[in-house]
Amino acid sequence: MEAIFEVTQRPNFPELLQTHIVLSVVSLLIAIAIAIPVSLAVRNTPLGSAIAINIGNVGRAVPSIAILALALPVLGFGFAPSLLALTLLAIPPILINAATGLKEVSREVVDAARGMGLSEAQILSRIQLPIAMPVIFAGIRTSAVQVVAAATLATFIGGGGLGELIVEGLQRSDTPVLLAGSFTIALLAIATELIFGGLERAFTPKGLRLARKKK
Amino acid sequence: MIEFRGVSKTYPGTERPVVNDLSFEVPEGEVCVLVGPSGCGKTTSMRMVNRLIEPSQGEVLIDGEPNTAMSGTQLRRKIGYAIQQIGLFPHRTIADNVAIVPSLLEWDRDRIKERVDGLLDLVGLSPDDYRDRYPAELSGGQQQRVGVARAMAADPPIMLMDEPFGAVDPITRERLQDEFVKIQDDIKKTIVFVTHDIDEAIKMGDKIAILRQGGFLEQYDSPENILANPASEFVESFVGADRVLKRLSLMRVGDMNLEPVNGEGSGLPAISGDLTVRDALSEMMGSGTERAVVERDGERRLITMSAIEELSQDRERPRE
Repeated sequence: MEAIFEVTQRPNFPELLQTHIVLSVVSLLIAIAIAIPVSLAVRNTPLGSAIAINIGNVGRAVPSIAILALALPVLGFGFAPSLLALTLLAIPPILINAATGLKEVSREVVDAARGMGLSEAQILSRIQLPIAMPVIFAGIRTSAVQVVAAATLATFIGGGGLGELIVEGLQRSDTPVLLAGSFTIALLAIATELIFGGLERAFTPKGLRLARKKK
Repeated sequence: MIEFRGVSKTYPGTERPVVNDLSFEVPEGEVCVLVGPSGCGKTTSMRMVNRLIEPSQGEVLIDGEPNTAMSGTQLRRKIGYAIQQIGLFPHRTIADNVAIVPSLLEWDRDRIKERVDGLLDLVGLSPDDYRDRYPAELSGGQQQRVGVARAMAADPPIMLMDEPFGAVDPITRERLQDEFVKIQDDIKKTIVFVTHDIDEAIKMGDKIAILRQGGFLEQYDSPENILANPASEFVESFVGADRVLKRLSLMRVGDMNLEPVNGEGSGLPAISGDLTVRDALSEMMGSGTERAVVERDGERRLITMSAIEELSQDRERPRE
């Protein structure tokens, strides 16, 4: 146990942790910046939603290690290809959930809103987004946890992060180093889950919670 | 006043119009019911009033002005809108739902609150109990009341209602209909009301437009005249074989032209003047009597089977 703790006292540990977090956060933000506008653009066309959701599903089926491996020949080693790979990995869950959430806002609710004279922008901001918000946040949560875990693999293409500890631990059969890396990543993933779970609850309007309970 | 002037609607990629050269007027303060089987274009016609659907040909005029004179959203804020599925916003409180159009029109807060409470009272939901609830906490009937209140919120002179009492059980529906007829007596809105139910049309309508598949207007007239003189076989079968009885249900016994009772009234069953002629007929048949006494405003008048028969054969507008 002490040996594990010692690993976290190494001078390069903060840097590894920082890289891991930066990789995760930045790729998640880029993924949100791509997936959300796309979902908004297709929200009123069933065909567009279906295409977006299917692209998301295909994207989800590709394993993270494969995406990383694919980034390698294109962009080479380093931080940038890792970021790209993680972004590609982060997009599908957000895209699927956002497109589904917006699509599933009941047609009658949108029709009533339109019939009472809300503009399309008002329908989006006052009706569609708040109602879809819990589903959108669930997508971001899934994505975030997945990215934190997958950032471990960045080390294979020279992206740094806590994965380096695991690789080092495996290569030298140094269990404390291996465990220090794994524990830290696990803690990061759990913290991410808790934070985004909290955000998801905070962004679920009370009326929707009541409606869900009733079902 | 709403006027349909040669309105047709054909969707792109289809040949047959869903609404076919529709022309009629809804006078101010009247309820016009669009009724017909599914596929007759009644909802499409209604939705062309507030331009949720644009006609392919012809135009809809509101108070003499084409409804294209302003933007669609501006137009819709001036026209109440209530639909069968209600479409309450699940994430907003009842008060916020009702307040949606007033807040779009930027009424001040006190005025909105006062209006919301007044409307909830009007539709029979105590504001203190319901203002801060959410749609999921209400029964179907209560939600429909909120839907109607919401449509009336900004006091629009015109309202569009698409089967607004459709999503509830028959007993609740009848109560909501009765209440709405009473409310309309006071507020005198110009209303386009869509239903597939001829009984609802007869009950709610000052005028009924009967539409046939393909969007053809078969007949446009008062309920009495449609029941008395169906314009076509389609109308005759659509209003049903019991149209004579339906017509009797439009008249009250107290409004009939009856002779006063001269002494002979004793021993005859008494009938309230508030009953419809149909209900009176049913009561008289039930008690096996040819004659009964109607009491109204302290006067006693004699109602007979033959007077009712005469009424039901009258092809002209009944005397009121």
